[in-house]
Amino acid sequence: MSNWHTTGGQLDPLKVRAAYPILATTPGGRPLHYLDSAATAQRPKAVVDAVSNFLLTANANPHRGAYTLGEDATTAYENARARTAAFLGVPAEELVMLGSATEALNLVARSWGRANLSRGDVVVVTEAEHHANLIPWQQVTREADADLEFIPVDDTTGEILWDRLEGLLKLRPKIVAVGHVSNVLGSAAPLAQIAPQIHAAGGLLAVDGCQAVANIPVNITATGADFYAFSAHKMGALFSGGGLWARAHLLHEMNPIETGGDMIREVRLRDATFAEGTQKFEAGTPDASGTVALAAACDFIDELGREQIHAHEVRMLERVLRELPDALPDARILGPRDVKDRIGLVSFSSDLVHAHDLATILDRRGVAIRAGHHCAMPLHEQLELSATARVSVAPYTTDEDLDALFDGLRDARMIFAR
Amino acid sequence: MGGMDGLYRQQILEHHRSPHNFGQLANPSVSVDGRNPSCGDLITMQLQLDAEGRITDVAFSGRGCAISQASASLLTDELRGRRAEEITELGSPYVMELLGVEVGPSRIHCALLGLETTQKAIATWRNKA
Repeated sequence: MSNWHTTGGQLDPLKVRAAYPILATTPGGRPLHYLDSAATAQRPKAVVDAVSNFLLTANANPHRGAYTLGEDATTAYENARARTAAFLGVPAEELVMLGSATEALNLVARSWGRANLSRGDVVVVTEAEHHANLIPWQQVTREADADLEFIPVDDTTGEILWDRLEGLLKLRPKIVAVGHVSNVLGSAAPLAQIAPQIHAAGGLLAVDGCQAVANIPVNITATGADFYAFSAHKMGALFSGGGLWARAHLLHEMNPIETGGDMIREVRLRDATFAEGTQKFEAGTPDASGTVALAAACDFIDELGREQIHAHEVRMLERVLRELPDALPDARILGPRDVKDRIGLVSFSSDLVHAHDLATILDRRGVAIRAGHHCAMPLHEQLELSATARVSVAPYTTDEDLDALFDGLRDARMIFAR
Repeated sequence: MGGMDGLYRQQILEHHRSPHNFGQLANPSVSVDGRNPSCGDLITMQLQLDAEGRITDVAFSGRGCAISQASASLLTDELRGRRAEEITELGSPYVMELLGVEVGPSRIHCALLGLETTQKAIATWRNKA
């Protein structure tokens, strides 16, 4: 642990930075202050090395070659799945490796949803959902003539009004699909509390875990979810990659939505039978190198320590919440006020400086933030905002990064107030 | 820092703060909304055209970043008296010339929203005629 920690056991971001070669680069001739990890995390060298090592020493098509190298590739792929499953606290046999969290959520909606939703059935999501956990449900409820209902948000802060779920459960929804951590608000869904309520009302709980898995310890089994989707690149692995965990009986009942090689048991000219378990949903050559990268990302996150990462991020966010109003007095901060209720990010808007102008001005100091609707247009509509600026932190975020952020915000204020 | 002061130089900020031709026409020949889906920038462009297809009056309204609103404002100053077909031929070099600065790829869609909405308005007006 001492490689990345202070003698007191806290994460030392200056040490951690050394693990991420990109943070020493100077895009546009400026030092990089990367505050957009919620969009995609930077990759530690350990992840890139693991991919490189696999491709240079163990590369073959998994599940096919009856030769030693092919077996090595299969072992590497399945070990990587097992490592990821252990990281998330679920059995490897229930973890489907896919191309992205988007693919995972589409699989739930299009496989489970199409088979289980019919006219008049109810699906519940929140008004704050990422488009990836909204549009698949729009599509499948429209096809099935089912109803899509929403847990509303507070018009001012955008906070999700979880106490409204109870009323919606009277409609006996077949499924409730929510983000574990909102990618705009930074708030966590009270999964342990809502899962039993949803189950008691006869429904299932699907969770989009993209913004949670890299920032806090996540044990999927403990969340009470029935489906849990996550993305590899937000954990520091590759862009391609993500997964879906589902309860074994759900996986057993679900039909594949993609068919082809590797997911079959027997194929005849006019029909086919499918493989059992996760393989049924993994048509085509599996992304062995991407999964190896994901396992390496899990290893690295555990080396840093998920509790320590979270504690470090809370320290960084505390400072953002405290100093943002000084740097940009008219900033309207979305999401919970209390940093204890916040994970990984702070979004805000300003009437003085539009989010896009802010991002452009910050870029001049090498500060990279996200500006826009962050794939949550309905939430922004509810708040009557066209765009917000989002600062997100990571284990490698330093006080220098935040200094540059606040200096950039003061630049923006000077430019627009003159 | 020089390039940035170019993009956010005084003239652009003034057009952003006090846009020209901002508001509604009493009786526009055509009124069209333009939106930047990735940013949420919004512009409503209203044109008054005479029988020969000459723009006689213009107004716009909208919300969004300084670049989208200022470039729309700068553009509206140039539209009166011009023929519709002249406007349809304009592209990003013209808008850059109006702004007096090169706009990078991440912001070019903001800069072009005003022109593209005007061109959409002209196409709509033609289809109505």
